Amino acid sequence: MRLVIARCQVDYHGRLTAHLPMATRLVLIKADGSVSIHSDDRAYKPLNWMSPPCWLTEDDGTWTVRNKNGEELVITVDEVLHDSSHELGAEPGLVKDGVEAHLQQLLAEHITTLGEGYTLIRREYPTAIGPVDILCKDADGTTVAVEVKRRGELEGVEQLTRYLELLNRDPLLAPVTGVLAAQQIKPQARTLAEDRGIRCVTLDYDALRGAESDDLRLF
Amino acid sequence: MKIRVERDNLADAVAWVAKSLPTRPSVPVLGGVLLDAGGDDGDGALTVSGFDYEVSATVSVSATIAEGGKVLVSGRLLADITKALPDQPVDITVDGARVGITCGNARFSLPTMPVEDYPQLPAQPQFVGELDGHAFGEAVAQVAVASGKDDTLPMLTGIRLEISGETLTMVATDRFRLALKEFTWKPADGVTGAAVLVPAKNLADAARSLGAAGSTVRLGLSSGEGMLGLSGPDRHTTTRLLDAEFPPYRKLLPSQYTSRAVLDVPAVTEAIRRVSLVAERGTQVRLEFTEGSLRLAAGGDDEGSAEEELPVTYEGEPVVIAFNPNYLLDGLTALPTDQAELTFTTPNRPALIKPLDDEGKVAAGYLYLLMPVRLPG
Repeated sequence: MRLVIARCQVDYHGRLTAHLPMATRLVLIKADGSVSIHSDDRAYKPLNWMSPPCWLTEDDGTWTVRNKNGEELVITVDEVLHDSSHELGAEPGLVKDGVEAHLQQLLAEHITTLGEGYTLIRREYPTAIGPVDILCKDADGTTVAVEVKRRGELEGVEQLTRYLELLNRDPLLAPVTGVLAAQQIKPQARTLAEDRGIRCVTLDYDALRGAESDDLRLF
Repeated sequence: MKIRVERDNLADAVAWVAKSLPTRPSVPVLGGVLLDAGGDDGDGALTVSGFDYEVSATVSVSATIAEGGKVLVSGRLLADITKALPDQPVDITVDGARVGITCGNARFSLPTMPVEDYPQLPAQPQFVGELDGHAFGEAVAQVAVASGKDDTLPMLTGIRLEISGETLTMVATDRFRLALKEFTWKPADGVTGAAVLVPAKNLADAARSLGAAGSTVRLGLSSGEGMLGLSGPDRHTTTRLLDAEFPPYRKLLPSQYTSRAVLDVPAVTEAIRRVSLVAERGTQVRLEFTEGSLRLAAGGDDEGSAEEELPVTYEGEPVVIAFNPNYLLDGLTALPTDQAELTFTTPNRPALIKPLDDEGKVAAGYLYLLMPVRLPG
C-alpha cells in the first residue's frame, strides 16, 4: 500500500472525461495495481479511480494509469507532500457474523437472561451435524439447546429443530427443549418456533454488553 | 344447524371476536370463529367465539334457532362477509362440510373446519369485582400509554392491576415514564387483595370494546391458571397474564418538588405539537420556565428551530427542562381535565404531571411521571 499526499490535478480520458482541478489530495496505490484519488471527505469513496488490472507509469511530474481498454487517468503532480509504502500482508477478511459470535459469548456469560436458575453446560456443544450454539439447563434441570442469531428467521428455526431431534435421541440429555435467541425475530419464524414448542427470546445486545444507553431513565 | 339472526348483531359480534384472532395462526383452526347454536330449543342464543390460547372472546347474540349445532369457519372471511351484508335477517345453515349464509338476495357458501380440533374455550375465571365500563375503558387507556413495546423486557409490556379492598390501581411504565391510575370499585365478597400483570395491548383492546358499551364490567381472576377475565353484557373475554415481576414503582414517585407550573392543557399540547415539528424524530422539546411564562423551544442551529411563548402560573427558580415531546404529549393528552400541574426539582430528575380540577386543586386518582431528557451540552 503506497500513500501519496500531493498537490495534483487529475484528468480522466475514457468513456467519459472528468477533470479535477489542482488541489491537495490523497492518492492510494494498492498492491493490486489500483489507483484511487481521495479528498478529505466522502468516507470510503474516491473522487476518481481506476480498477485493476491497470498499470502506473511515473514520468517527471506526470503519472499515467492505463487499463487494458486504453482508458487513462492522468495525474499531474505539482508537489509531493508525503510518500510512503507499507506492507499490509494478507487480509483476514471481514467477519460479518462477529456480532453473532459475540452475542453467543455474552449470552453464555449471562445465561440467566433466559430465565432464573439457568446454568450453562457449554458453548458450541458438538453434535454429529455441527455444534449447538449453547447447551444449558433450566431451573428444573431440563436440558435446553439455544440457537443464537442476529435475526431469527425460518432457517434458524429449522436448524434448531434438526439439533433438537438429534439431541433428543441421547438418553443422557433427553428431553431437550429449544430456545431461539435473537436480536430480532421475524413473525413467521416466531410462529413456526412456537408451533414446534421452541421458545423465542429477544436479546438486547447493548444491555448484554453492559453498554446501557446514557438516556435518563426512571430506573 | 339452521338459524336466523339480525344482521347488525351478527356483524358486531363477529367483528369483535375476529379482532382478537391471531394474524398468523400456527394451526388453521385457531384462525376460525366458532358459531354455537346449542340445542334445538327454538328461541335461544347464538354464541360466537374465538380463542388462540392467549386471548379468548365470546359474544352471545339472540337468534331464532330452528336446529342447533356448532360450526367453525374462517374468522376474517366471516367478518368481512357479515360487514358487507345488506340490512336484512341473516340465515345460517350447515349442509355437510359447508356453511351457507343467506341475507336478502346474497348467498355465500363457505368451507368449514373440524369443530373437534378446536381447543376447549377457557371458563370465565372466578368473579372478583365489578366496575363502571366507561370509567374502566378510560382508565386503561390513560395507563396503557406508558406501557413498553419492547419484547426484551416483558414485565414492561404489561399493566399491573392491584386490588386492595375497594381500591383498584393500574400502573404501567417503560422506564422513561410511568402512568398510575387509582379508583374505587366494587370488589366481590371476600376479595381483599391481589396483584397481577396483564399484557397492555390485550387489556386495552378488551377495555375499549367493553367500555364503549357503557355498562358494568365484571372482572374475574385466576392466578393459578394465570388468567384474567372481563365480561360485559353478552360479551366475555379472557387473557393470559404475564409471568414477570413488575418493578417496585412506589419508590420512584417523588414526594417533594421545588418548582410547580400550572398548565392549560389544550394550549400547551397544541404549542408542543407545533414546536416539535422541527425536533427530529421526537428528540426533545425544551421548556424554559420563568415567572409567569413558559417558552417552548425545539430544534437547533444545524436544523430548523422553533419556539413559542405561553403565559403560565409558575412558582420556582427560572429553569430549563427538556422532554421527549411524544412522551410529554402522551401524558398531557391522557389527562381527564383541561388544567394540569407539572412539578419537578431539577432538569435531570423525574417530573410529575397531575390533573387539576375546576378549583385548581389536584384531582386525585391519576398521575404521569416523566423522565426528562439530557439538555445539549
